[in-house]
Amino acid sequence: MSSLSFEYQFFPVSHPAEGAGGKTGNWRVVKPIVSERCIACNACFLWCPEGTIQVRGKRAEVNYEYCKGCGVCANVCPVKAISMVSET
Amino acid sequence: MMKIMSGNEAVALAVKFSRVGVVGIYPITPQTTIIEELAEMRARGEIDTDIVRVESEHSAMGVTLGAAVAGTRAFTATSSQGLLYMHEMIWWTAGSRAPVVMVVATRAVGAPWNIWNENTDFMSERDSGWIMSFASSPQEALDLTLQAFRISEDPRVFVPMMVGMDGFILSHTKTNVYVPSQEDVDQFIPPRRQPYVIDPETQESMGNIFQPVHYMKLRQSINDAIQGSIDVIKEVGREYEKVNPLSDYKTLNVQYKLEDADYAIVTMGAWSLDAMEAIDKLREKGVKVGLYRIRYIRPWAEQEIRRSLEDKRAILVFDRATSLGRAGPLYLEMKATLQSPMKGVIAGLGGVSMSKKDFYEVISNFIEEVKFGNPNKVEWYYPGEVKYVELGTPRSAY
Repeated sequence: MSSLSFEYQFFPVSHPAEGAGGKTGNWRVVKPIVSERCIACNACFLWCPEGTIQVRGKRAEVNYEYCKGCGVCANVCPVKAISMVSET
Repeated sequence: MMKIMSGNEAVALAVKFSRVGVVGIYPITPQTTIIEELAEMRARGEIDTDIVRVESEHSAMGVTLGAAVAGTRAFTATSSQGLLYMHEMIWWTAGSRAPVVMVVATRAVGAPWNIWNENTDFMSERDSGWIMSFASSPQEALDLTLQAFRISEDPRVFVPMMVGMDGFILSHTKTNVYVPSQEDVDQFIPPRRQPYVIDPETQESMGNIFQPVHYMKLRQSINDAIQGSIDVIKEVGREYEKVNPLSDYKTLNVQYKLEDADYAIVTMGAWSLDAMEAIDKLREKGVKVGLYRIRYIRPWAEQEIRRSLEDKRAILVFDRATSLGRAGPLYLEMKATLQSPMKGVIAGLGGVSMSKKDFYEVISNFIEEVKFGNPNKVEWYYPGEVKYVELGTPRSAY
């Protein structure tokens, strides 16, 4: 066994990232759809329990891999820009 | 420059020369004088090391690991019960691959209380993932401690390293030690290198939960790094001759009168020198016997041992440690490496003294056994006239 150079070594270092543990399975019933009425007020971002909705530019965007479809964002939206649509 | 000093003073000098940043200290016999010496150096202003006093050995290793991943050179030292108390943090240090150096002055483990010398505590950490070397003299303790910083901080290794020495026999016995100069050591040990630094700026963290496959990959990486460190250790040993011209660290383990020998003796630690004297005496009588001293038990230099010992008629392994219920750890390792007839002797536990005469007796009996019997067995040897120690347990009258 000859010695390995530093590039081939492996270390227990981790960076903050989206984990595999919080991914939504195939059980979600409804998902939020953001319409053009969005005013980018960030209320949905503040209230989302999973942190899956973020304002990018002039529109809120949902990360559907982690969204659980709870509907909180649709309820807190002041201009009713988010509607929950059935997935099944 | 030669000076008269004990093994613990030699280790403290090595720590001073290598400009260590943080030392986590907690005293335990027989290692106490290392940190006493370091604290006195700090009081005299010879070093600017941060000496952190903690409340247990577990915390001492924790401080050392924290200092190491934060980016400074770190050191600690301990002994038997303390090493066992540290056991959890030893595994954490090995898993996080932080370059750390620890000196272990070996001592027997309770119960019952015993402060004399035995290697069981050191040998019980073989599986944890450290590079482990064992000194045979105060001189070697100093040399190996200096080399340990260099080896563990090599980019091809990045694994912590442990240096063992026999408690009291080496740690408190004063002999001649060659002390290198600070300039030579500064050229020998480069500035601190490490695989990653924990810093609030970088958002990196260490030791979070890993998926099973990644964990297994990390374990294999540590294993490959330790096995591959054989080349690094030889390189560092060749380079160490600039620091100490009297030394010889070209190979991992040491041979003594072994080239033309029929029988080989395998030992580790301070009593190798007593065994060498016994071998000299046997050579005078025409018995062809040689000694092979194990200096590194991790990495286990399998090819080197095979090349040296495979043509010998029979091998005798001296163990100063036990794996209770089986045999000595060194005997088991040698048994897994070689096919030759082999006898294991367990002696010197708990500070039982083995003299040149006792070694002479054991080796003579072993050679008789090879000629007229079956040497494959494990024997517990008690020196002196009391061959069978009878234990009397006091019982209450009932």
